[in-house]
Amino acid sequence: MNEFKRVFGAAAIAALAVMGGAKGAWAQAEVEIQFYFPVAVGGKAAESLGGLVAEYAAQRPGVKVDAVYAGSYVDAMVKAITASRGGNAPQLAVLGAVNLFMLLEEDLIMPIDDLITSDAEREWLDGFYPAFMANSQAGGKTYGIPFQRSTLVMFWNKEAFKEAGLDPDRPPTTLAELVEFGKKLTKRDAAGKVTQWGMRIPSSGYQYWELQWLIGGKLPLNNADGNKTNFDDPRVIEALQYWLDLSQKHEVMASGLLDWGATPKAFFEGESAIIFTSTGNLTNVRDNAPFDFGVGFMPGVKDLGVSTGGANFYIFKGSTDEQNAAALDFVKWVSAPEQAATWTLATGYVAPRPDAWETPTLKAYAADFPPAGVSRDQLEFAVGEFMVYEQYTVQSFIDDNIEAALTGQKTPEEAMQDAQRKADRLLKKYR
Amino acid sequence: MNQPFHTSRLDRALNTIGAWVLGVLWFLPLIYAVWAAFHPQEYSARFVLLAPLTLENFAEAWAQAPFARYFLNTFLLVTLILAVQLLLCTLAAYSFARFAFRGRNLMFMLVLMQMLVMPDILIVENYRTILFLGLLDTIPAIGLPYMASGFAIFLLRQSFKTIPKELDEAARIEGANILQILWKVYVPLTKPVYVAFGLVSVSFHWNNFLWPLIVTQSVETRPLTVGLSIFFQIESPADWSLTTAASLITSAPLLIAFLIFQRQFVQSFMRAGIK
Repeated sequence: MNEFKRVFGAAAIAALAVMGGAKGAWAQAEVEIQFYFPVAVGGKAAESLGGLVAEYAAQRPGVKVDAVYAGSYVDAMVKAITASRGGNAPQLAVLGAVNLFMLLEEDLIMPIDDLITSDAEREWLDGFYPAFMANSQAGGKTYGIPFQRSTLVMFWNKEAFKEAGLDPDRPPTTLAELVEFGKKLTKRDAAGKVTQWGMRIPSSGYQYWELQWLIGGKLPLNNADGNKTNFDDPRVIEALQYWLDLSQKHEVMASGLLDWGATPKAFFEGESAIIFTSTGNLTNVRDNAPFDFGVGFMPGVKDLGVSTGGANFYIFKGSTDEQNAAALDFVKWVSAPEQAATWTLATGYVAPRPDAWETPTLKAYAADFPPAGVSRDQLEFAVGEFMVYEQYTVQSFIDDNIEAALTGQKTPEEAMQDAQRKADRLLKKYR
Repeated sequence: MNQPFHTSRLDRALNTIGAWVLGVLWFLPLIYAVWAAFHPQEYSARFVLLAPLTLENFAEAWAQAPFARYFLNTFLLVTLILAVQLLLCTLAAYSFARFAFRGRNLMFMLVLMQMLVMPDILIVENYRTILFLGLLDTIPAIGLPYMASGFAIFLLRQSFKTIPKELDEAARIEGANILQILWKVYVPLTKPVYVAFGLVSVSFHWNNFLWPLIVTQSVETRPLTVGLSIFFQIESPADWSLTTAASLITSAPLLIAFLIFQRQFVQSFMRAGIK
């Protein structure tokens, strides 16, 4: 037995030594901030952000920004929460705008108001499009700084419009008109098989976002405190019924679940004449559509409103004052007109401040490619995205029940009542 | 008179058909991946038999991320984990199987309990430990939580227990010490179990995503899975040709290794059935 103990004891000590000594101490000479960013629109976005960080480093030699790629929005959230709970929070992160209540519940982020010291900075904070700030504020304080923001827009196939005898430059402007246009645009072959659908509203991935438009974003799905939903409001049920009717009653859209990611492809392959998707797809459609297309406001938006989407900057708790100041400085720098213009050009996101659209870069872009300005102009009618505590869980309740209604497993009324019941049970403790 | 023969033939035919159906279902995504990766983007959802073949997707995917570095990281990671697992778990299993010591049953229960707890639940605690050890953003940090594998200890202990005590005693009479017995008797006789476990471990850690994403922060440590995730975009849709090409690049080494060693693997699994 002695031999046994000796051998095992030595092995244990050796193992501990290897683990402990693998990385030495590190020294800090300048202000260093760590910055988590998710990638939501592909490899080029990460590259362009890297370029911005490098440019910032050249201008501010005293500050080192360590940009850490953190996966999808959900992954980035998990990474930020884990690191913070583990006592190693980043100073700065770009996370989903709708994660505000989750971050507040975890007590991870700082109000930007507390970091602001001058009137000039206050003015800067007030200079963002109000629609984008809707998801940034809670309890009278501002937490999120808009960065990669978007809205839904409508893409239509001008050639299909011409073939159907419609004016290619006049898209549908109300929900009733949308059905009418859809009937003209849906084409069937001799056997009655559909060769071109009138429209496509994705129902698998971001369906709550699409539903928010159909309801009218002006009827919010959540209250301002983020602890109550109104999924069973008659107007929500009515909107879902309209959505279902498009495929079941009017037969202008394919039935079943329509994937979010495959939607642009369905458009440029001619399967659907109109699609409703994020303005983030602009570059993709521009590069791939073999026909002339239009980009416009969502039908009915002037009465209904449409919801914004995307991600904001958040400044995390637990850092030194110097680090907080550096984080704020970086955010201010990135949201300045020139940088915001670069970012918009690289990604298709909407520059979140009016002054960015005054730069020669974006002026030339919008003049050369007018669809680039559609989402920005639509902001006048935009409202905040659906946002509550326990965001992802509640989101899954509404998403799953939208799917159930669209696939005929539940009536729209049953589906929304189920979603509401589940959400109530979960959100009760935040009231 | 022909009846029994007939039934068994029908039975066999049904079995064969069933196996083929399941096999094809399993294989379809892979076939699609190969199709989309080797054809230009226009053909990624249209199946035209004579569509032009291309390697461009691979070149483009390869250029979008430092895959060579990610390959190295993943390779180092799975090798490190497997090596430490084999060492630690062999020794632990050996002591559980052949030595009587106080608290043995309790400790073995703890080992079994580890198999019941999903590692994802422990992410925050593991993160704190890694931070405390100063190992954040290193390859050992990705592997550390998995090194003392309860599954490996259990599997090896069960296998060691099936080895006749007489072999152990014979070696002892020949003058072998306990480590020599382990090395010369137990390990060679459980080789199929080692191969089977090695395959499971390597493929699991090759594909692991969440924990590596959380503890890595730089290109120098990030494994393939985390690097690959930039191809799955959220707001603008995936380019399937590029995504499938990148997926094939990252899974190719495992697929090829499996095809080459397929026979050994299958045999190992059959022999390693837990007794």
